[in-house]
Amino acid sequence: MDRREFLKRAALTGIGISLPGLGTVIHQLEASEKIDLVVARGDSPSKITNAAVEAMGGIRRFISRGDVVVIKPNMGWDRLPEQAANTNPEVVATMVRLCFEAGAKKIKVFDRPVNDPRRCYVQSGIANAVKALGAELEYMDERKFRDMSIKGEALKSWPLYTEVLEADKVINIPIAKHHSLAKLTLAMKNWMGVMGGSRRQIHQKLDESLADLGLVIKPTLTVLDAVRILTANGPQGGDLKDVKKTDTVIVGIDQVAVDSFGATLFGMKGSDLGYVRAGDKMGLGTMDLSKLKIKRITA
Amino acid sequence: MQNLRRISQGIFLVIFLFLFVQTESKGNDILGYPAKIFLDFDPLILTTTVLSAHTAAKAFYLSLIMIVATLLLGRVFCGWICPLGTLNNMVGSLKKKRLDRAPKDWYRVKYYILAFILASSVFSLQLVGIMDPLSLLIRSLSVSVYPLFNYGVRAFFDTVYNLNSKGVVDISEFIYSLLKKSVLSFQQPFYNQAAFIGALFFLVLGLNLVEKRFWCKYLCPLGAFLGILSRFSLLKRSVSEGCTSCGACATVCQGNASPDKRDDWRDTECLYCWNCDDICPQNAVSFGFAQKKSAAAMDLGRRRVVTSMLSGVIAVPLMRSIPLSKSGFSQPKLIRPPGSLEEREFLKRCVKCGECMKVCITNGLQPTLLEAGLEGIWSPVLIPRIGYCEFRCTLCGQVCPTGAIKRLELKDKMKVKIGLAMIDKGRCLPYAHATPCIVCEEVCPTPKKAIWFEEAKAKDREGKEHVLKQPRVDLELCIGCGICETKCPVLGQPAIYVTSVGESRSKENQLLLS
Repeated sequence: MDRREFLKRAALTGIGISLPGLGTVIHQLEASEKIDLVVARGDSPSKITNAAVEAMGGIRRFISRGDVVVIKPNMGWDRLPEQAANTNPEVVATMVRLCFEAGAKKIKVFDRPVNDPRRCYVQSGIANAVKALGAELEYMDERKFRDMSIKGEALKSWPLYTEVLEADKVINIPIAKHHSLAKLTLAMKNWMGVMGGSRRQIHQKLDESLADLGLVIKPTLTVLDAVRILTANGPQGGDLKDVKKTDTVIVGIDQVAVDSFGATLFGMKGSDLGYVRAGDKMGLGTMDLSKLKIKRITA
Repeated sequence: MQNLRRISQGIFLVIFLFLFVQTESKGNDILGYPAKIFLDFDPLILTTTVLSAHTAAKAFYLSLIMIVATLLLGRVFCGWICPLGTLNNMVGSLKKKRLDRAPKDWYRVKYYILAFILASSVFSLQLVGIMDPLSLLIRSLSVSVYPLFNYGVRAFFDTVYNLNSKGVVDISEFIYSLLKKSVLSFQQPFYNQAAFIGALFFLVLGLNLVEKRFWCKYLCPLGAFLGILSRFSLLKRSVSEGCTSCGACATVCQGNASPDKRDDWRDTECLYCWNCDDICPQNAVSFGFAQKKSAAAMDLGRRRVVTSMLSGVIAVPLMRSIPLSKSGFSQPKLIRPPGSLEEREFLKRCVKCGECMKVCITNGLQPTLLEAGLEGIWSPVLIPRIGYCEFRCTLCGQVCPTGAIKRLELKDKMKVKIGLAMIDKGRCLPYAHATPCIVCEEVCPTPKKAIWFEEAKAKDREGKEHVLKQPRVDLELCIGCGICETKCPVLGQPAIYVTSVGESRSKENQLLLS
């Protein structure tokens, strides 16, 4: 702590003591910091997203004035919102709006889709939703992938998208879906969307690779969209019978915890998912839900 | 008049190029631009399609307008509208001295080509697309010139980008982003035969240096078709008594119509460019309606015309005596776009314009060489290793001018089978190498996946047992879109691949008892 920092803190403490009102605010902030996960349920995707972020301590806890923010939804498939293969556009739009309210200078939204990027961006409904708010929705530029040292168990290095690593803040907004190899794709697997190169090879050691990505990509906040979840024929679905409406979003900082909770929506436990186990073991986060402070709200 | 003509040519060329560049997905289901409209106005394609298939796409009846226009105004299309003619003009302007090396009666060649094409189309062989100027131009631009342009521009900006000099890169990236939004394609296109088809196109342009508008004068079958019509046109050129036979007009004639021969000029060759009127020092040339006809009779030589037509007829069995015509024989790699008609009917309509290849969202549609016989050269084939058929995309059917690829509603498109996928167990990782991989199943787009797994145990070299998900293809559900082959991580020869067997359009090329 340098001298300037010391003076600042001393002054703040002084104000805190002299003004009882502000003291309780600070107290509340400290309490909210201890909440690990917020699970919000309700009919309106934007309302529950707003409420969940608020319960996590508010957007200003995460985004500062002038930040360059990367928002990474899952828009990997040429599917419509009701088919639950891509992140709910309302949830994404709500996060964009919140970040701008907190003073974000620039918000970039992108994904490296499996299907044609133009169709994925448009058909997912995300292009329309976020462009209207002034976020930058650009197609990924092949030149901006750079080989990054990961030093993980499965991935020693891999080309990753530099804009994610250079951003001031990164928000992960995945959707909860079935996946035949990973069992489920939730927050940790969403980072495959910023991998360059021949990422299809990572399926040979999928769980370890996904955990390894957590060594280099550390999102500020994760918002798991479970407004609609895809229970079979994932990760792209297509049959509305496989879609279940759960009207939920889960917000947290720890991706392992978010994914561990996400598994419960499908009647599984976090420990059923190999990458959650691997992430827990590597110390990336906490898989054991009983050790977490989970706040449930309805909005 | 010359300036007016140039303005008209310029406007049509710009419209043409604009529509060409817009023949590209923006992510919506509908393209939103009438990309094929120039072809819709092509009366030669209408004629050969009606002759070969006894029917034609409705939009083609727009070309009746062109027939009427030619009967009224002569070959104004050639002189004032045709984008290939305009390009020929532009390249021709690089040649300074006027020196007609080709013998004067070469103009007949295009009529022989026309006779050949028409005769063969009567016997169901549709070859018009190879030399129809609009087909040729769109194909050459799609498959060759536009990819070349994109490659060059991208290479330039990538080089500047890698200089890592901050100020310069900021400027170049700004310009690059503008170009991307306007004239560049979404992604770099790649085509088989890009160099070959491009070479033919540059040859056509290069011939202008031998003689201006060489193609238009001697080779173009559409020009020949319109030439015959223009014999009956109401707008006629006439030369008054004031003509001193100075020959000035002959040096500027774009069509090699011998305008200096007063009563013996070739009206079928006139492109209505008005150059003779403009240049005439005596002001003796005029164009007007209801004037007396004063042109030479069209002399093509009966024997030569008959020979050309006979050649066209003989070409039909010649091109068809190949195994492809044999019942029960199918070319496994000939995967046609979704909505394509049965092969025989398909070839009667396809004019090889390349619109479908231009618009194909994954670049998977490629021009054939001989896979569909010489008759099917440059028709579209899906090569899944290059790109797959996007499940919810219907663009190829939207731009096909002839209906060789039917325009399908999305719900119907998603059910059309263009082939079937099969697995090569000798290369597939979970089968052959006890290594997990589920990519084919993950990307399979049918609502109930056509690829499913059987769990199997396999030992690796150390004797360690692995439980593996081994993929199987459900032949009832598989539509042959090829995304599994495109994305299969076994590069080179894939471990799962599509062949045409099972395609909906064919009765014969089937596998399952149904």
